[in-house]
Amino acid sequence: MSLSEFWDFLVLGVVLGSLYAVIAIGYTLVYGVLQLLNFAHSEVFMFGGYGGLIALTAWSPVTSPSGFQSVAYVAVGMCAGAALGGIAAYGLEKVAYRPLRRRHAPRLVFLITAIGASFFLYNLAGKLFGRNAAPMPTMYENKKLFSVFGADINITQLLILISAVVMMIGLDYVVNRTKLGSGIRAVAQDPEVASLMGVDIDKVVSRTFVIGGLLGGAAGFLFGTNQQVFYTMGFLPGITAFAAAVLGGIGNVRGAMVGGMLLGIVENLTVGFWGDGWRYVGAFAVLVLVLMFRPTGILGERVGRTA
Amino acid sequence: MVRTKIARIGIPVVAGALLLTACGGDDSGDGGGGVTIGYQGPLSGDNVQLGVNMEYGVKLAIKEANASGDLDFKIKYKAVDDQGLPEKATAAAQKAIDDQDVKAVVGPAFSGPTDSASPLYTQAGMATVSPSATRPDLTEKGYKSLLRAVPNDASQGAGMAAYFDKKTDAKKVMIVDDKTDYGVGLADVAEKELKAVGIEVTRTSAQQKTPDYSATAKKVANSKADGLIYAGYYQDAGPFAKKIKEAGFDGIMMSDDGTKDDQFLKLAGKSAEGWYLTCPCTDPNVDAKTKKFAADYKKEYKEAPGTYSAESYDVTNMIIEELKKAGPDVERQALADALAKAEYKGLTKTFSFDDKGNLKKQAIFLYQVKSGKIEYQGSIEELTAS
Amino acid sequence: MSSGITKTASGGPASTARLRGVAWYQHPRWSRLTAMVAIAVVLTMVTGEQGTDRDIFFALREDFTGPLPWIWLGLCLLVWTVREFWSEPIRKVRRASVAKSDPPVAWVRGQWRGDRRIRQLVLAALVAVAAFAPMGLERYWHQVLVDQIAIYVLLAIGLNVVIGWAGMLDLGFVAFFAIGAYSAAFWTGALPVDPPFELNNFLVIPVAVLTCLIAGLILGAPTLRLRGDYLAIVTLGFHEIVYITAKNVEDFTGGARGVSGVEHFSIDMGFSYEWKLDPLPYYWLLLGFIVLLVFLFMRLEHSRVGRAWTAIREDQVAAAATGVNTVRFKLMAFAIGASTSGIAGVAYASKVGYFNPENFPLLASVLVLAYVIFGGMGSIPGVLFGAAFLVWLPEVLRDYVDPRDRYMYLGALLVIMMIYRPQGVWPSKRRQRELKMATEGTVDGDATAAPAGGKVS
Repeated sequence: MSLSEFWDFLVLGVVLGSLYAVIAIGYTLVYGVLQLLNFAHSEVFMFGGYGGLIALTAWSPVTSPSGFQSVAYVAVGMCAGAALGGIAAYGLEKVAYRPLRRRHAPRLVFLITAIGASFFLYNLAGKLFGRNAAPMPTMYENKKLFSVFGADINITQLLILISAVVMMIGLDYVVNRTKLGSGIRAVAQDPEVASLMGVDIDKVVSRTFVIGGLLGGAAGFLFGTNQQVFYTMGFLPGITAFAAAVLGGIGNVRGAMVGGMLLGIVENLTVGFWGDGWRYVGAFAVLVLVLMFRPTGILGERVGRTA
Repeated sequence: MVRTKIARIGIPVVAGALLLTACGGDDSGDGGGGVTIGYQGPLSGDNVQLGVNMEYGVKLAIKEANASGDLDFKIKYKAVDDQGLPEKATAAAQKAIDDQDVKAVVGPAFSGPTDSASPLYTQAGMATVSPSATRPDLTEKGYKSLLRAVPNDASQGAGMAAYFDKKTDAKKVMIVDDKTDYGVGLADVAEKELKAVGIEVTRTSAQQKTPDYSATAKKVANSKADGLIYAGYYQDAGPFAKKIKEAGFDGIMMSDDGTKDDQFLKLAGKSAEGWYLTCPCTDPNVDAKTKKFAADYKKEYKEAPGTYSAESYDVTNMIIEELKKAGPDVERQALADALAKAEYKGLTKTFSFDDKGNLKKQAIFLYQVKSGKIEYQGSIEELTAS
Repeated sequence: MSSGITKTASGGPASTARLRGVAWYQHPRWSRLTAMVAIAVVLTMVTGEQGTDRDIFFALREDFTGPLPWIWLGLCLLVWTVREFWSEPIRKVRRASVAKSDPPVAWVRGQWRGDRRIRQLVLAALVAVAAFAPMGLERYWHQVLVDQIAIYVLLAIGLNVVIGWAGMLDLGFVAFFAIGAYSAAFWTGALPVDPPFELNNFLVIPVAVLTCLIAGLILGAPTLRLRGDYLAIVTLGFHEIVYITAKNVEDFTGGARGVSGVEHFSIDMGFSYEWKLDPLPYYWLLLGFIVLLVFLFMRLEHSRVGRAWTAIREDQVAAAATGVNTVRFKLMAFAIGASTSGIAGVAYASKVGYFNPENFPLLASVLVLAYVIFGGMGSIPGVLFGAAFLVWLPEVLRDYVDPRDRYMYLGALLVIMMIYRPQGVWPSKRRQRELKMATEGTVDGDATAAPAGGKVS
């Protein structure tokens, strides 16, 4: 593989990795406050894709949009995706997780509920919207913009990168600088003490889910724009993002960003060297190797302690 | 302690068994001595669209036969769902075999399920006429029940190679498969045939539903190949076509019958332009003979006939034809023998089988996407003859 | 509207609400009403039209313009009304009926515990029923019973060792099933590579079990330091690696084209018998395996090994401190659990005769885990029931709902079940006690995992 090819795959890896990072944040936030593996987050992501698709189909974009129209389409699609993702996550927490928390059910039970909810949600989406894949309506002409070391960057890729970076910075701000963020960190560190200090745990948990859902939904829209929307689209990216969250240190927001990036890059380099069939082998081999030497991930666990 | 535990095991087993009996009872056939034509294909799961295309074709043929008044008996329809998965296919096949009224089966739709279900059908002496199971080695295994009413992938791969050889000046072709048994099988044949005519071949694969086709597309563009064959289904070919265009590949692009579907046009959008599609099927929407079929189909099911709809329709009509000759009380084995010897001229082609159950005449047709439509180009044999 | 509310809300709760300074609309009753309306909306979508990708709004439009939402809304409001305003009389009636029905149950239980001969008799009857009851069924159900139910029951028994007894979360269990199936194919000469010598299927079983044991050790060794969710993702990765390898190493595994022509079971010792396409003989064979394994595993559960697993599950640190060799016993759990899937793999490969990597998707691993926990992890009868029931359910749903929607109902069932009966259908006594203590807040439900959200909410 020549150097220019290496750059090609690296750039693609960064783009995909930034998507993974945004999804992984959803897993890691929920893990931070609940120590719970939200298996159904992949369906939140999928609903984000459908949210964008529904909004844009309803609006029915013109065939060759002007620059302003393009921006408007993207903004509306992303907002709709984020909104539906947020709603799905909120509903999920209310219906599937809160009753269990009331009973202090052990985490395995949460896991099975999450699996059940995931099955239910993606099949429901398949039933409602049809089981064939659908492309996102054309929002802009996807042109090549510029090259970095010989690797081309087109509009979609730039869009994904910029949105992901903005979302990550925004989230970092929310977690570290706002009242809600200190609530999240407090609950993550010690729920009992947090509640004694007057933190409304139910509210914090619910909002954490919604934040994760907003990010996941927006990522779903971006994924749909890059590729297509279908009812099982959450599964593979969901698994990878989950791995990314664990790789970075689950419960650690910055860890999820690092982990997502790293897995995106490793995957694309694997594809570059050996072909797409081996994609996940590279990713999971890196995961196992890292965990063997750092059993709690690259940056270590917990929102409260490190972020 | 141990004993009580062991004792408890039995109860769920028995409860389950009783429930099974209860439910087993009510879906057995009504035993009214009717004639049923079965259909086995994916009616749930990921590849449901292909299954539905075929189901509608079968249903339409049966409906028309019953309405025509030529028959002095009524034909019923029974669908069994294998989800396109080999491990579900045995139970699905058994469901069709258990129903004594089922005289012959259209299907199984996919090659994997055909492989696991055919021993059962052979044992039951029931003919299965598959309009779409294309893996070459299926007919080499001595499944007496299996009649393959479609040219196999070997012909399709050869057709692709012939076209690249005769009609283009491609020197190097990249083959991308989707890591399914269908895609890999076809890609293998195409690779062999292309090499045989002296064209350089490189292989790679992009597994089904991969989260991002960009990297594979980049690989294809970087390979400096001047031809590309994608072996897989439309759901993946759509985004792949998009990414290939974005990556700036400008060679000849070709795909297969799994891609030849209007869904491909929808998913790929403008990027579908210029793709060649090979298929052992004629296009019911274009061919003059089959226009009426397309109209009837659309009226009945509110969608245009898809890939293999017309073939399923033909195959069903072929079975009905033989049933008409043999009468409603024909034994399964007798019907199977009759079908193996029969010759039937359908909408799409003339069906007659050699002693292995393959079609005698294997024609591959070429299509090209032009201004947002899949345009019929003709049979590859004729195109490459000149 | 408001006058009705003040009337109905007067009474105990309303006065306390007033004391706390909570307005009438903050009464939990109204959030429950919102929940019921939301449930009605979801049920409408669940039971409504099939959508189509040609018109993304088709299903939604059809669902919400017809009478369906009103029917569900009516039903949900009825449930809500009954629950809010008539719950007391219903509870009384139920209490009365429970009180009445208790004595016979107690009597049966007393007989059961008291007389050993009755136990043996019932046991023998049960095995006989399990063996002969399927004969009355259609052959379709025989196929389902063998190809799906019996195979998954075997897998669930194995996974139960890893998760139910040793408390290790394994999300990649079906990888061992794949390894078992591929070793069966290898040793009967069905793979593209030739084995050194071909074996009879019965001899393949110990070889496959051994292969799975070794694979279990290979997976177990690097993951011993990991706990809980880290273990889950690594096992998941292990599954994915096995699956992808099976798909890509075409020269060895046949790749995506799969493996066909695995021989059927046969015996040739003095007398000869060959298992053929008939499902029933296979059912009896598998039933034999299951009975044998269940017997062995029950002995194991109450042996020193089983107690060591329990200790590790409940508190790994304490177990290590009291001299349990946690490394050894954890590896053992992985290996022994994996071995049953070796048997399942061999039986499956020979019965169906053809398989490809798509038979071992990640989803199957997730499903087996769900079967174990649904049935009640740690309890063998529970696991048997869970696997049998949840594999059977989608097959029977086929006749009642659109086959494409079956897994939606399965998912909903899992959620509802876990909310109302988190210990599973038939939990083991020990597990039930652990859960009860966790609910009371005395200890954690699993040593691998603290209860989510801390102990307050």
